[in-house]
Amino acid sequence: MPNESEAEFQLGLQSLLSELNNPSPLAVALVSQLNESLWWIKRHTVDKELLLHEAMARLLSKAGSYTETYDNRKVSEALERYLDGRADKDEAEWIDEVLAESKLTLSDLRVRAFKDASKHIKMVDDLIHRQHQTMRHLQRSIDSIDYKSRLIKRMDLELAALESKQSVKGVLSLDAKPS
Amino acid sequence: MTPNHRRNLANQCNALKSTGPRSVAGKWVSSQNSRKHGLNSAPDFESSLEYRVLVELIAEEGFSAFASAEIAAGLLNYRRVMDAYYDTYTSPEPVGEFLRDVNVKASIPIFRELLIPSGSEPQDVRDMAAFFASMQRQEWRKGGPVSRRSADTHKLIRYQRNGIARLSRAVRQG
Repeated sequence: MPNESEAEFQLGLQSLLSELNNPSPLAVALVSQLNESLWWIKRHTVDKELLLHEAMARLLSKAGSYTETYDNRKVSEALERYLDGRADKDEAEWIDEVLAESKLTLSDLRVRAFKDASKHIKMVDDLIHRQHQTMRHLQRSIDSIDYKSRLIKRMDLELAALESKQSVKGVLSLDAKPS
Repeated sequence: MTPNHRRNLANQCNALKSTGPRSVAGKWVSSQNSRKHGLNSAPDFESSLEYRVLVELIAEEGFSAFASAEIAAGLLNYRRVMDAYYDTYTSPEPVGEFLRDVNVKASIPIFRELLIPSGSEPQDVRDMAAFFASMQRQEWRKGGPVSRRSADTHKLIRYQRNGIARLSRAVRQG
């Protein structure tokens, strides 16, 4: 995605993979999905704040006499910078002016925006919840293959031990046979 | 007649009234419902090289042939869902900026200028303005790009739920 680091994503994946001892291709595939779910959770969490900003910009651009000349994108971008503390003096003054015109403080605006955007915020909460559920499924799957591979290794060892016992017995019985 | 029967009968009568989309535009929109992400169509993983490679790799881990096939199909199916999820998220329905920002009241004289010379009545101008206003309300209700992508992605939750359940079941039963 734009403004996101591929390297950071890969680093997350590598750190998850390093938790596994000698990961199999299936484990790698499942851990990659797990890493992707983590990424989606972060992404959707950012979206919740963006939804609030979007609703705040919408309320501002509809407010007061400004309605006659509103430009939603301009308000939205200016508000974004204002909230991040990156707005220049003119922009900050303009946002303050629009807030005063609409008889709202920043916190009032935030509360009203939260109310307006609640439907979409609930949707994003559902998306985050779904990613959590997905991660649980993936964790259980990874656990199951990890257990399976440990079981296979143990069975291999037991089988090798049995085979060596059998071969020793075979040698002994051959030795015991009268010539 | 019991209350249940009455309710069922009322439901059936009401269902008869609902005949789906009537306008050409409405019919076109509903005809595209299943084409947005393609997740309702049955995938054919078995013929792909990716599937065969996956089956072999999984079988080498000690899974039976049947379990390997199930897990490979589960993995590819889940991947398909997440690709659609990503595509939907990154390309939501675009915001109709003109419709959203147009001042309907201020546009009435323009509608009048356009419609009256062609023989339309003042009522037609009012109807046109009302139509634009309702379209604008719809546009506002859908919200900005973040609201749209959240709403569009939300529709894929059930596919993701089914996809991960299928994959997880295949791995744990394998």
